[in-house]
Amino acid sequence: MTPPKIKIESLDFYYNTHQILSNINETIPENAITSIIGPSGAGKSTFLSLFNRLWETTPGARVEGRIQARFSDSFMDINDPKLSVIQLRRAVGMVFQMPNPLPMSIFNNVAFPLKLAGITEKETVQNRVTTAIKACGLWPEVKDRLDKKATTLSGGQQQRLCMARALVMEPEILLLDEPTSSLDPRSGAMIEELMVQLKPRCTLIMVSHQPDQVERIADQVIDFTPGSESCR
Amino acid sequence: MNRSFFQQKRDRNETAARALLFMSALVCCLLVVLILGFMVVTGLPLFGQNQAMDLLTGAWSPHNGGYGIAPMIFGTLWISFLSVVISFPMSLGCAAYICVLGPHGKATVMKRCVQMMTGIPTIIYGFVGVFLLVPLIRNTAGTGSGMCILSASLVLAVLIAPTMILFFIQSFDRVPRSWLDAVDALGGSRVQKLVYVVLPACVKGIVTGTVLSFGRALGDTLVALMIAGNAIQKPDSLLDSARTLTAHIALVSAADFESMEFKSIFLCGAVLYLITALVILGARLIERRGTHE
Amino acid sequence: MNRWGEKAIYSLSVLSCVLLFGSVAILLGYLLVKGLPALNPGLIFGSTPMVDALFLKRQVFDGIFPAMAGTLALIALAITIAVPLGLLAGIYMAEYSGRFTRSVFGFFFDLLSGIPSIVVGLFGFSAILFFHHHISESLAPCLLVSALSLAFLVLPYIVKTTQIALETVPQQTRITGLALGATRLQNIVFCLIPESLSTILGGIILAVGRCAEDTAVIMLTGAVVSAGLPDSLFKGYEALPFYIYYISSQYADQTELTQGFGACIVLLLICATLFTLAAIIQKKVRHTLLYRH
Repeated sequence: MTPPKIKIESLDFYYNTHQILSNINETIPENAITSIIGPSGAGKSTFLSLFNRLWETTPGARVEGRIQARFSDSFMDINDPKLSVIQLRRAVGMVFQMPNPLPMSIFNNVAFPLKLAGITEKETVQNRVTTAIKACGLWPEVKDRLDKKATTLSGGQQQRLCMARALVMEPEILLLDEPTSSLDPRSGAMIEELMVQLKPRCTLIMVSHQPDQVERIADQVIDFTPGSESCR
Repeated sequence: MNRSFFQQKRDRNETAARALLFMSALVCCLLVVLILGFMVVTGLPLFGQNQAMDLLTGAWSPHNGGYGIAPMIFGTLWISFLSVVISFPMSLGCAAYICVLGPHGKATVMKRCVQMMTGIPTIIYGFVGVFLLVPLIRNTAGTGSGMCILSASLVLAVLIAPTMILFFIQSFDRVPRSWLDAVDALGGSRVQKLVYVVLPACVKGIVTGTVLSFGRALGDTLVALMIAGNAIQKPDSLLDSARTLTAHIALVSAADFESMEFKSIFLCGAVLYLITALVILGARLIERRGTHE
Repeated sequence: MNRWGEKAIYSLSVLSCVLLFGSVAILLGYLLVKGLPALNPGLIFGSTPMVDALFLKRQVFDGIFPAMAGTLALIALAITIAVPLGLLAGIYMAEYSGRFTRSVFGFFFDLLSGIPSIVVGLFGFSAILFFHHHISESLAPCLLVSALSLAFLVLPYIVKTTQIALETVPQQTRITGLALGATRLQNIVFCLIPESLSTILGGIILAVGRCAEDTAVIMLTGAVVSAGLPDSLFKGYEALPFYIYYISSQYADQTELTQGFGACIVLLLICATLFTLAAIIQKKVRHTLLYRH
């Protein structure tokens, strides 16, 4: 197994007084796909939101314990108040269950994270957007209509666009929350293939409800079913 | 990506934006305070010559140095109260028809119409009132000019009804769908659904809507100014002419700036302001009480 | 409940609808019958040729063209003042306010939206009076004072629609930008505002409608019977609702009265157009939150 990318130590998560996660200790390997499974309401999505601190947008949420991620050589605590959450989210990409393109053109959707990060140099933007769209295998389908609204794409195309958008910042970690569950089987298969291709560049963490999908592509499984502590 | 990439940076834009946004909100709020401040400061000289209670409860007799605004307070309360009394059953009936009793297709159209009605300018209600309703009331009553509390209240009732209906509809729509389905499943009629489920669940919303509509009637200027006759007297009957606080402000402003008559309008302004504040506070309290239950 | 009780409740509800819709229909019908004869270019431009009037070559003396132009100038000014301030305050309320500031500021905005418009007008009037005495004798009620007062009047509408529009953005959309590394400000500017633009725009159009119809504020702050086309911020101006108010009490003959009815129809058309426009643009119109008189 590849060296660890993320170490989670004695982690608890509370929503107001309600405890969602308790005493979680896990290691997530680099350049691999880690799949999180378990029944609805077991806190899988919450768990995923720990890695880019998106849980902070939920009022009343609170976390205890330590999550360390290795971005250069040394591990750092991602809940460190001195660490910029904005920069963290630029280094940790996320893809949601429902494709969520923003109401702008296809090109601008993918260029959006660059704009947020203050990268405005025209040629750089052009190159990185093209590379990201190509990496997601979407280029042949959209190259002639980059200025069209992203909402004109099909569901599967939208989801790959969202992948491209997440990848344009060249994140070292990519979070995926049931990325194929709203798609037809063919589009789902394309996303799966894409995830496998991304392994050399990224550490992928995916919430999945489909056992066959986990069987096909996951390198490690974290099971959130109450009472089980299984790792593969 | 190394350690420095994740360093917390001070975001000047964020700080500046936050300050700007806060200042804007603060300016808006200060405005509210400023409005009251101006009323009080400008109206203050009145208190030098009269007792405060005299001003609020005394009679209006400028020749004897009496600037009591009691007649206007009575006029305002009479007219707005009566208009709410007329408007309430009508609005409740309409809202019930639109939300529960009537057929669905018709209801959507009717709701749109009610929304459009809120956009009819007040001056138009006043204008038509003067030339249509006032002569009618004059001829029916057989005495007076027709410019009276009753005429003004009737017009005002039609004017505030759309807002009241929309308040009621808003609260009816919050009744959980499942409750209504339950009544349907038990074979209840639409009327039963209204009486046993919707109305009891909406008491709070109905009260809030009525209180706020009362506030709206209080604040109306044009209808009372054009139709109520503007006589400064304590009204005894519905067919008496009356002047509201708002109309008093609109009428006196043309007079001499230094006169006490002129200064009395600021007292009217302050009283109106305070009544409005009480109405809003009341509505907020009613709403809040519900959320704790 | 017996069958008769049900029948009675149903009938009363239908009766309410008939009463309200009937009254409004009579109101509009009466207006149309009386005003239609006046509805021709002469109403607007008087005896001046239309082209000359539009290109400002010749003054219009006996038409409502100057009043319409005055109303237009007033709306443009008031909205220009109110929109930036209201937007910023609304954004603060929705995105930056803490529990305490939200509740306190929220009360102030409710209060501001409930203060009778004549009191806001009185505020503008007393402020300019204050400046007249303490700063310069040349300051008097004028277009600018009216526009500022009207801006205060519609400010709470804009604050509230902005706040509601932002607060009702779905959580899913809200976190899209954040997950991509947007700062709070970037998320508001690039994601939340574009998402809620149509609602905000609808609110602004309703505010325009309020500016167009308001009479109480402008009659205290600078509207006059005869001023010609508005050409200075510091002069009195004519306005459509004020013209109608003036006609209702001071009309000299039947022709003038018919002109008044014609002017009513013009004003009604303007307001109806704005309302329809707002309803089309804004999917979730919240009229009840925008009540005021």
